[in-house]
Amino acid sequence: MKYTLYLGCTVQSEQFGLEASVRETMPRLGVELEDMKGASCCGFPALSSVSKVGWHYLSARNLAIAEEMGNDFLPLCNGCHLSFVETMHYLEADPDLKNLINTHLEKEGLQYEGKVKVVHLLEVLHDRVGEKKISGELVKPLEGLKFASHPGCHAIRPSDIQKVDDPEDPRKLDNLIKALGAETFDYPEKIDCCGSQLAVASGRTTLKIAGDKLQAVKSYGFDGLVTTCPFCFKMYDGRQRAIKGALKDSSLDVPVFYYTQLLGLALGFRPERLGLQLNQSPVDGLVERIME
Amino acid sequence: MADSDEREVKFISLMLSRAVSGMNAEVCDQCGKCSSACPVSKEIEGFNPRQMIGKVALGKNEELLKGEAIWTCTTCLKCRERCQEEISPYDVILILRNLAYRAGYNYPSGYDDFVKGVKETGFISAPQSVRGRDGGRVTRSDLGLPEVLGPTDMELFRGIVDGIVKAGKRN
Repeated sequence: MKYTLYLGCTVQSEQFGLEASVRETMPRLGVELEDMKGASCCGFPALSSVSKVGWHYLSARNLAIAEEMGNDFLPLCNGCHLSFVETMHYLEADPDLKNLINTHLEKEGLQYEGKVKVVHLLEVLHDRVGEKKISGELVKPLEGLKFASHPGCHAIRPSDIQKVDDPEDPRKLDNLIKALGAETFDYPEKIDCCGSQLAVASGRTTLKIAGDKLQAVKSYGFDGLVTTCPFCFKMYDGRQRAIKGALKDSSLDVPVFYYTQLLGLALGFRPERLGLQLNQSPVDGLVERIME
Repeated sequence: MADSDEREVKFISLMLSRAVSGMNAEVCDQCGKCSSACPVSKEIEGFNPRQMIGKVALGKNEELLKGEAIWTCTTCLKCRERCQEEISPYDVILILRNLAYRAGYNYPSGYDDFVKGVKETGFISAPQSVRGRDGGRVTRSDLGLPEVLGPTDMELFRGIVDGIVKAGKRN
């Protein structure tokens, strides 16, 4: 299984924990990753809000490079994944738009045909590697720990364009958590938004939206929250201290992990190889417990 | 107006008409599933996708284009997912943002930073040294992550993006 790896802005510039844990764990599961040359931003959310053509140009540009490379295309970010899937959908439906985009791409010697297969990390792990393979490789099963599953909006909606998981009852991340020997259970806020895309317009509202969910997760007795999305992670982990301040809730302390960080710990990798020193939420207690 | 400008404006208008075509008071029965699913409606008084769709259906776009509300959607897509009539407030809001930007109305200044970043490096943001939990700074190379290679010919790339993305009066 070989994939073209697309990092995207947030991952390559600051969310190193996701990238490091993906690069570390995937080869152990038989997944080979090939880096891109000449990649750029996918256009979401910067360009989709101000220039639809610019957005589709940027997404199609990366897809065109991926087409040349030939592998299935694996973006690490939920936002990028949706951006690529949406662009493919709209360019397929509108030949005029596809032609317009290709006239821009030609200037760099690129051409978009729309034949690359875009896959989500959850699909690679759940549908292609599989829970059985993951369970079979465990060195340190995460027994006795309960994690809240947060797949993130852009992984599951809109269901008429992408089919990563069920839009109202997503299960794949839950199954993957269980494959590590940990527990998970449904909670009412599971498919709720992290609010990160509102940060550009209203920082305060963003913190409130993310904080409500963190408080709920804590109240249900979860030991931590798990996601694969860098935007959501950045909100729940990186902004958790700001959320505590905004909500005036000093007791709010929810350890937040990328799924691949937990996977890496369960596979026996050292925490620093998984970028766990970068998590800003209080993860030390759980990491020590798993490493014992 | 340059040819590519004309094509873009035509394209945005076409998208809006597609998104709202056949949409009127009879199609949108104002059931409110979009608003009840909306995370922003809970927090910001007056943000209401159901009312937005009502206004667009009546052709009252101007007020929406000039207001702040269209910029406060989180793009969670629940409204699009749950609408029984296949109306997508999410798509309508993003098209309205495009129109407001081209018309030179106010928009959050962060979007200028995004576009600037893309033009400078190919990405919204370049690799940073990030703070670890113990306060120490960590770079990509500290973690053994490969160097990020953006567009090979940045000048050419920048020219293409410049040719496509044009704000209204503000820039």
